[in-house]
Amino acid sequence: MRVVTWILRVVSVATFVYLSYTVYSIMSGRWDWGIPYEYIVTVFRLLSLIMFFLAIMIVNGVASPLLGGQVLNNLVGGLYNTLILRFWYMQPYGVSGPMMNVNEVFTSFMNDFIGILMTLWNQTFTFLYFLCAAVGIALFLQSLVRMDHKFVIGAFISIQLILVIAAFRDVAIPNYEVFPTDFYEFLVSKAQILALVSFAYLESSYQMIYSHSVGKPIEEREETLKKQLLALRMATRKQDRMERGEKVSTTAMSRSSGATAFSFLREAIERKVVGTKDALENMDAVADVRRLQHFVDELLRNDPAAKDELTAKAAAPSESYVIRSAVTGSAIRLMAVVGVSFLLMNPWVFVALLNLPTGIANSVELLQPEFMLLFLVPVVALFPFAAMLIGSIVKREVEIEGNLTKEQKQELKREKREMKQKKKKAEKARRERTHVRRKRRGESEEKDEWDRAIEDVARE
Amino acid sequence: MITQRGFTVLFAGILFLTSGFSFFNFYLILLGVYLIVGLVVTLPLFAVTANLSGIEVDRKIDKTKVFSGDFLRVRVTIRNTSRRNFDFIEVWDQYPETWILAIGENFMASRIEAGSSIAFSYILQARMRGRYYLGPTEVIMRDRLGLHYYKRTVKARTEILVYPTWKDVRRLETIGKQRQLGLMFGSHKTKVVGMGTEFAGFREYVPGDPFKLIDWKTTAKRGEMMVKQYEEEKNVQFICMVDSSGSMGNGYPENTKLEYGIRAAVLLTYMGLERKDLVGVCVFSDVVHNYVPPNTKPDHMYEVLDALAMAEPMGWSDYETAVSHVTSQTRKRSLFFFLTDLEESPGPLLNAMKAVVANGHRAVVISPFGPWFEAPVGQFGPVERVLSEAVSEELWERRVKISRALSRFGIEVVNVGPEDFLPAIIHQYNAAKQRGVALH
Repeated sequence: MRVVTWILRVVSVATFVYLSYTVYSIMSGRWDWGIPYEYIVTVFRLLSLIMFFLAIMIVNGVASPLLGGQVLNNLVGGLYNTLILRFWYMQPYGVSGPMMNVNEVFTSFMNDFIGILMTLWNQTFTFLYFLCAAVGIALFLQSLVRMDHKFVIGAFISIQLILVIAAFRDVAIPNYEVFPTDFYEFLVSKAQILALVSFAYLESSYQMIYSHSVGKPIEEREETLKKQLLALRMATRKQDRMERGEKVSTTAMSRSSGATAFSFLREAIERKVVGTKDALENMDAVADVRRLQHFVDELLRNDPAAKDELTAKAAAPSESYVIRSAVTGSAIRLMAVVGVSFLLMNPWVFVALLNLPTGIANSVELLQPEFMLLFLVPVVALFPFAAMLIGSIVKREVEIEGNLTKEQKQELKREKREMKQKKKKAEKARRERTHVRRKRRGESEEKDEWDRAIEDVARE
Repeated sequence: MITQRGFTVLFAGILFLTSGFSFFNFYLILLGVYLIVGLVVTLPLFAVTANLSGIEVDRKIDKTKVFSGDFLRVRVTIRNTSRRNFDFIEVWDQYPETWILAIGENFMASRIEAGSSIAFSYILQARMRGRYYLGPTEVIMRDRLGLHYYKRTVKARTEILVYPTWKDVRRLETIGKQRQLGLMFGSHKTKVVGMGTEFAGFREYVPGDPFKLIDWKTTAKRGEMMVKQYEEEKNVQFICMVDSSGSMGNGYPENTKLEYGIRAAVLLTYMGLERKDLVGVCVFSDVVHNYVPPNTKPDHMYEVLDALAMAEPMGWSDYETAVSHVTSQTRKRSLFFFLTDLEESPGPLLNAMKAVVANGHRAVVISPFGPWFEAPVGQFGPVERVLSEAVSEELWERRVKISRALSRFGIEVVNVGPEDFLPAIIHQYNAAKQRGVALH
């Protein structure tokens, strides 16, 4: 299955590269590569201004009752000149001399604060483009290695978010003035191609994950079995050497290849049995490892199919079928998605189907994107509803089949009946015994005989 | 059923759809529609094809009865009896929680074609005595993209009876080998000098001895009439009364009083059968759950193991019912080993012991003392420690009184903890053999 996974991996990379390049092209002219640095500097400038303001307010508030309100004016001016203007290279630093008047300081502070806020607002969007692109690429690379759908969908959303943010900023991204009524025109339109490639990226990536998850468990199973058997063999040999009184060393390999991958042996190690000198004292755990070794040896010797069953080798699906079905399945799905989506979004189809009055048919509202919701919601809901109906029929079959067999039910019933009879019999015998004793003593209420015995003992 | 992956796609679709509406952008709307339609468009087809009743799971095991600690190979075959291919199925074959997966995996994920089957196996270690079931098997089917799934639980179970551990017997055998090498002494056969076939020695002739027993060679050597003596081995009949009341289940999971009691019963039965003694076992609480009468037939050990394997701590101890049940079926004089914690009301116990003695039997009570089987006092806080010590003292006082009271019937009470449970029972057995108790 590795070949199939690699082929699908290449397809996934190709679609992602195309998608990313298209988005990059759409946003050309807006990739200001200095923005990430400038954005961070702007954030720090803003933070410095806030800190400066808070600091002088607190210091002035504390000092003014003692020293008078005017005393710290020079300090405020000095701080503003050195910590804000000079430190962050903000004007009028370098243009004119330092500001000595406290009123000028606060006027400059206000202007700087508003100016920085505005800059930050503008830079934020460009910064977000970079952030989304970086996150998208990082997640995409992760998806190729980790084969997890979270990374695939994360990469997809991140790249598409660039266009969402751009749409918010009124950047020209692929769009239709009026949704095309001609299917061919729709098919070759830039927006459709971009949407189709985006969907194809998801499809190919999920197919890649499928191919990986179908083939990998069997490969891993084989690897795990090899490690387990190796670990078992090493543990047994180690015990043999310890019994012979030879010196035993714990190697890194024995831990990494064996113990960590092998719960049974790991448990034995946790019980501090294998690998220590005191090990042989605990006969049970040592015997467990050894008996397992014998059991496995015997199994592999007597049953030629045992190893294949343990690795589930026969369960590996055929590669040619997987690649063939992946291509046909994806093609059918893409065609169905494009076709159904065109029908749902095209107002002409709705008008023809609903036979609307002329006034409504020619209205501007029909051209609004929200109109498609009228059909999208019920049509989309129809699919799960149909699936639910089919599923409920299938489920009924399952419930009938999944119950206990007749023999098992009878066996359970028999056991319950026997226990009931035993209890009944024991209860009857107890009643009879009590009755006989009461009769013998002529007492209405029996005194605890054991208490009497204990009292007798105590008296002795 | 939509998977987590499906819900993520749905979320993305709605996000783009609403973004498109907000910014009046057909591309974002189209992308949202593609995602939502792509999510649901194959759903009915998947529901039709995913008829999981076409999947049959067959589980096979090498043995249905194993000893605790033994290994067991489980083979699972999944058959697709339908006419459709299943793109992706996951199969989880469940096994008892207390068992250990020793080799392999109890999980399989693969594709299965129409009419074909896949098989996998794994090796388990049975850890605790009792009746267990393998299964159910969970079958999950997903579509290729992993957006939807259907789950089915195949409830077919495979019963396995796990006998009590055999390790004590193995240890005993090891010690037995050492004894053959002259490392251990103290084990004796119960023999009666008389009409046996095994030569025992010589003694002086007394009037009435048969002439054929006179050994002329020895007579010539010693100068007085000597006769040969023969001995015959007498077997002991004993019955283990294993109390399986609820209180016997206290203690650490694999080291409860009941577990020790059962191990003791297994050991005693094995030793008895090895020495041709008649051993019976009775498992009781408020009813007699199982009674295996004394016997020496070859499969007697397995009958005993079957009875002990099924024992579960529940109910209360009705000694009288148990004794009445056993004595009614036991004519010969027997030695009763009561393996009980004596935590029940003492009246019935006294009556039961009276019944035992009155029927001509003998009895020994091997009694696990509760606090010794529970958490060590060192692990408690100061308050718990004081309370625990107080409870222990009270229980101990009560136990001393019980011992003294039972001694009036000639019944010894041996208080045991986890360490000395098995040695105590071996000692009692050997002592009984030496004294020739319950000979027949």
